[in-house]
Amino acid sequence: MEPTAPVFDIQRFSLHDGPGVRSLVFLKGCSLHCPWCQNPESQSVKPVVAFYADRCKESFECATVCPNDAIRREGFRLDYERCDQCALCVDACAYEALKLIGEDLTPTQLVERLLVDQPYYESSGGGVTFTGGEPTLHHRFMKHTLELCKEAGIHTNLETSGTFSWEKWEETLRLLDLIYFDLKILDAELHEMHLGGGFDRIMENAAKLVAHDFPVEFRMALIPGFTDTPANIEAAVELLQELGQDRIHLLAYHNMGEAKIDIIQGKHPKLGLARYSDGRWQELHNSFEARGIEVLGSH
Amino acid sequence: MPGWQPSPEVQALYADHMESPAALGAERAVHYTEYWKSKAAKGHPPCIQNAEAMAYHLDRRSIQIHPGELIIGSHTEHRIGAVCHIEKAGTVMLEDLFRFEKRPVNPIRLEPGTKRALLRSPIPYWLNRNVAMRSFPLIERLKYAGDQLRATHFVINEAGGVAHFLPDYERVIRLGTDGLRAKVQERIDQGELDQEGHDYLEASLVSLAAIERFADRYRDEARRQGRDDVVEILSQVPRRPARNLREALQLIWFFQLLIQVESLDQGISLGRMDQYLYPLFREEMKQPDFNADRVRDLFAAFCIKLSEVVPLFSGRVTEYFAGLPTGQVISVGGLDADGNDCTNELTYLLLDVMEGFKTRQPNWHARVSAQSDPTYVKRVVEVIAGGGGSPALYNDDAIMPAMVERGVDSSKAWNYATVGCVEPALQGESFTSSDAAIFNLAIGMELLLGGGHRLKRGDIRERPWLRKIHSTAELLEELEEQTDERIAELKHSLDAIETANARFFPTPLSSLTIGGCIENATDSTRGGAWYNASGIQGVGVADLANSLAVIEKLVFQDEQYTLEDLANACAANFDGQEALRARALKVSAFGNDDPLVDDLANGVAAIFDRCVSRHTNTRGGRWMPGFYSMTTHQGFGKQTGALPSGRLAGRPLADGLAPVDGSDRLGPTASLNSVAKLDHRRFGNGININVKFDSASVAGRQGRDALEALIRGYFSQGGMQLQINVLDAGILEQAMKDPDSHRNVLVRISGYCAYFVDLTPGMQQELINRTRQRT
Repeated sequence: MEPTAPVFDIQRFSLHDGPGVRSLVFLKGCSLHCPWCQNPESQSVKPVVAFYADRCKESFECATVCPNDAIRREGFRLDYERCDQCALCVDACAYEALKLIGEDLTPTQLVERLLVDQPYYESSGGGVTFTGGEPTLHHRFMKHTLELCKEAGIHTNLETSGTFSWEKWEETLRLLDLIYFDLKILDAELHEMHLGGGFDRIMENAAKLVAHDFPVEFRMALIPGFTDTPANIEAAVELLQELGQDRIHLLAYHNMGEAKIDIIQGKHPKLGLARYSDGRWQELHNSFEARGIEVLGSH
Repeated sequence: MPGWQPSPEVQALYADHMESPAALGAERAVHYTEYWKSKAAKGHPPCIQNAEAMAYHLDRRSIQIHPGELIIGSHTEHRIGAVCHIEKAGTVMLEDLFRFEKRPVNPIRLEPGTKRALLRSPIPYWLNRNVAMRSFPLIERLKYAGDQLRATHFVINEAGGVAHFLPDYERVIRLGTDGLRAKVQERIDQGELDQEGHDYLEASLVSLAAIERFADRYRDEARRQGRDDVVEILSQVPRRPARNLREALQLIWFFQLLIQVESLDQGISLGRMDQYLYPLFREEMKQPDFNADRVRDLFAAFCIKLSEVVPLFSGRVTEYFAGLPTGQVISVGGLDADGNDCTNELTYLLLDVMEGFKTRQPNWHARVSAQSDPTYVKRVVEVIAGGGGSPALYNDDAIMPAMVERGVDSSKAWNYATVGCVEPALQGESFTSSDAAIFNLAIGMELLLGGGHRLKRGDIRERPWLRKIHSTAELLEELEEQTDERIAELKHSLDAIETANARFFPTPLSSLTIGGCIENATDSTRGGAWYNASGIQGVGVADLANSLAVIEKLVFQDEQYTLEDLANACAANFDGQEALRARALKVSAFGNDDPLVDDLANGVAAIFDRCVSRHTNTRGGRWMPGFYSMTTHQGFGKQTGALPSGRLAGRPLADGLAPVDGSDRLGPTASLNSVAKLDHRRFGNGININVKFDSASVAGRQGRDALEALIRGYFSQGGMQLQINVLDAGILEQAMKDPDSHRNVLVRISGYCAYFVDLTPGMQQELINRTRQRT
C-alpha cells in the first residue's frame, strides 16, 4: 500500500522558492515550534478543520450534519475535543467558512496534481518545492514521491529545518535536485528555549550535506529579536565560513501568518512585530556581505 | 539600457495629435447624399454608383497637411475624425447627434453647422435607404431594428458595412495604381464578361482614378506649403511602385484610409509588415546614410495616422465596443513557408516602436511558435512587461492547424496574419469579414430555464418543462437546439444584410486590394475573393460552463436542489437565495484545471461551433466560430438575467474565452491550462484570452522570465492567443479620478488597445478590480 501524507496546500506559479516556475507542496507536521511560524496551521501533523469567522453567516447547517456534536453556536465554532475531522461540515457550509486543512494524499495522487504544470516547469527550468511543516517527517511518502518526480523529469527542491535522521534520509536526499536548508537560531540554548530540540542534529546534518556534496543552499529568515541579533548573525556567518559557503538567501519577517492562528484557535503567540524598514534591511544585508557572504533574495 | 525615443519632431507631431479632439466628419455624408440625389447617379449600376460617390467625395473633401507630418492624408476633413457612413450604420449612429459632444464617454466634437448639414439632407434621405432598411421587408425591419437596438441576443456588425479583412498591400506597393489599372485592363481585354463583371471592372477604373486625383490634390497642397519632400513622394506614389519605405507607407496609408472611408473603419488590417516591407528595408540598409532611428520615426508617424481614425459609435454601441476601437492590426514575427523563424531586423525595429511609442492604434500582434528565435521571444516579452498591453501573442502552432481544419490550403497557412481583434486570415486572397456578428451564448441558459422565454424578475412559479430534464447531457442537447434556432435567426438577418450590401453598396475600391476580385471580375461583397468567410463570435462560454457545472453538482449529483429551484432563484436574482448562490459559487469554475467544468466548456464551444459551422454566407464562404468579446461581455451582460453560476443579473459576462473574473482561484497556470484544454481546432476565427498582472509581479529579469515561461507553457499545450496587461491599480484609479492627466494610459481590452480614459466607467472598474486581485 502506498504511504500517505497530509498535504495542506499546493501553491502553483510560485517564483521565489527555487529556480523557475514552481509548485510548492505544503506538508503538515513539524518537530519545531518557531514563534514566527508562517504556517501555524501546519505544525500539527493531524488534519484540522479551520473556521473563518468573517465568512460565517450563522446558518448552522454545519451543526445539522455534524455526527459528533462538535459545532458550538457561540464563539469559535469547533470543539476540537469532539471533532474527528470527518469534514461533513465543510461540505455542508455554503459560505466556505469551514475548511479542512490537510488532505491525505498518496504520492501518485500528489504527483498527478503536480504534473499539470509540467509545461511551465519545462518552459522555465522550474519544478516542485516541498515545504511545510517539515517534509522530512514523512520519509516513506517523500521517498516514493521523489522517485515518481524523478521518473517524470520534475526538478525537485526540499525545504528543511535539518531535523531529519541522517541514516534514514541520506539515500533519499540523493533524489533531490536542490535542498534549501533553513538556519534559525544558532545557539543551542536559545534554540532549545524558542524552537524545541534537535539543535545538534541540525548542525551535524548541515555539515554532512556539505561534506557529501549535496546540492544544498542555506536560507535564513530574519526575525527581529530572534534571528537578527548580532550574535546570531555572527554565528551564522561563522557556520557558513566553516562550511565553505559564500552565499545565503535572506527572508524578511512578515506577520501574514499570524492571522491564520485564529482559524484553528491556536495557542501560538502573536509576535506582532513591525516589518523591517528599508534601512534596517540594508544593514542586515551588509552584515553578511561585509563578511564576504553574498546575499540572495530581497525585502 | 535606455530604449529608443522618437525624435523631437515626431514627439511634437504626437503632442499635436493628442491635443486634437475627435470630430465628426460630415463631408462624406453630405457628398454621398448630393451625389445620390443628382442626375449623375441615376441609371447607373450600384458598383459604378458607389465608385462615383466616393470619387465625388474625394474630389471635394477638405484636405490639410499638418506641420511636420511624414505621412500625409486624413481620414476625414478633421485631423482626428469619425466618418459618418451615412448609407450604412451612419444613420443609426446619428441617433446620438445631439449627445456626441456632451456624452462623458468618447465625446466627439461637432463643428458649427455640422448638425444642420446632416439634418438638412443626408439624414432624411438615407433614413429609409440605408442598408438595414433595404435588407428587410417593412414588418421585419421593425423587429430587426428593435432587436439591434436592444442587442440582447446578437449584434450584426456587417450592418455597418463589410470590413475586417487584410488588403493585399504587398501587391499595392509593388504595382501602384498604374499597375492595378493594368491588371484591370488585362481582365477587360480577356473578355468573357457578363454585364455585371464589366460594370465591376469599370467601377474599379473609376476608383483608381479617384485615388490618383485625391493624391494629386495633396501634392498641390504640399507644393503650396513648400513641402518638397512630400511633393517628391507624391510624384511617385500612388501611381507607381514604392521605391523606399516612406513611399511604401504613404501608398499603404492612402489605401488604408480610403478603404475605411469607402467601407467601414473596422478591422482593416495591415498584415505582416515586417515581412512584405523587408525587401525595401534591406535596400535602405545598404545605403551609406541609413539611419535606423529614421525608420522608427517613420513608423511612429504611421502609427499616428492609424490613430487618427476614430469610429462613429453611438452611446448604445459604445457599451458593446468601448475605447474607440478600429482594429487595424500590424502583425510581426512568425514562420516562413519552410516552418522556420522569419524575424528580421525590421521586426526588431517595430518592437522598438511598440515599446517606445504607445498609441491607440495599431493593434500590434506578435506571432510566436516553438520554432521562434529565443532572442525574438525574449524581446517580445520585454516589450509586454513594459506595459501598455502590446503586443498580443498569437501561437502559430495552434492557429495554422485550426486554419487548415477550416479549409485554408495547408501550403499557405504559414503566411497568415491577424485581422481586427484576433482573427487569423490569409493576406491578399481572403475576404473573411471576420467580425460579421457577435452572439450572446450565455443568455441561452436563461431561455432554457424560462422554457424559451426570458426569466421575468421576481416571477417565481412552477416550471414543469424543467422536470423532464434528468441530466446535464440532456440539458446540453436542449441548449444546442435552442442555440441552433437563435443562430438561424441571426443567419436570416445577416444574409439579408449581406445581400443588401452586395446589391446596393458594393466596394470597388476595397476590392482592388483583395485577391480574386479583379480576376473573377466580381466585387468583394459579392464573393469575388479567392477565399471567403464570415466570422461569428460566441460570448459567455465560461458563464455557461459554470452554470452547467453548478447544475450537474447541485441538481444531478447532490440532488440538493431541483432545476426549478435554480430557475426561480435566477428569476429572483438570488434575492432570499443567498445560500443557494453561495453553494453555486463554491462549485469549481472554469479556469481551475478541473476536468468536469473544463469538459463542459468544451461542450459549449462545440455546440457553438456546430451551430455556426453548418452555415455559409452569401459570398460562398464558410461561417467560422470565434470566441472574443471586445466589450460586448459588458453590453450583453447588462441584458442577461441571473445565471445558475451565481452571476447576478446585469453583471458582465466572461471576457472572450477567459474564465469568469475572480473565479480562477489557482493562479495563472491553472487558468491557462483550462483554456488550453479546449479543442482549439474549432476556433478558426480566433479566441481572446486576457491575463492581467500588476507591474510588480513581472518586474525585473525574474518577472520577465516567469512571463515568458507562462506564455511558452500555455502555447506548448495548444493555447492559441494571449494578451497580457501589465497594470498598476493605483495608476488606473488615479486615471479614473483625473482623466486629464492620464490621457496616455493604454490598456488592452479584448483584442485591442484603448486609452483607459476612453472606456466606460463599468469597464474601467472591471480593469481596476482585476488588477487588484493580482496584487
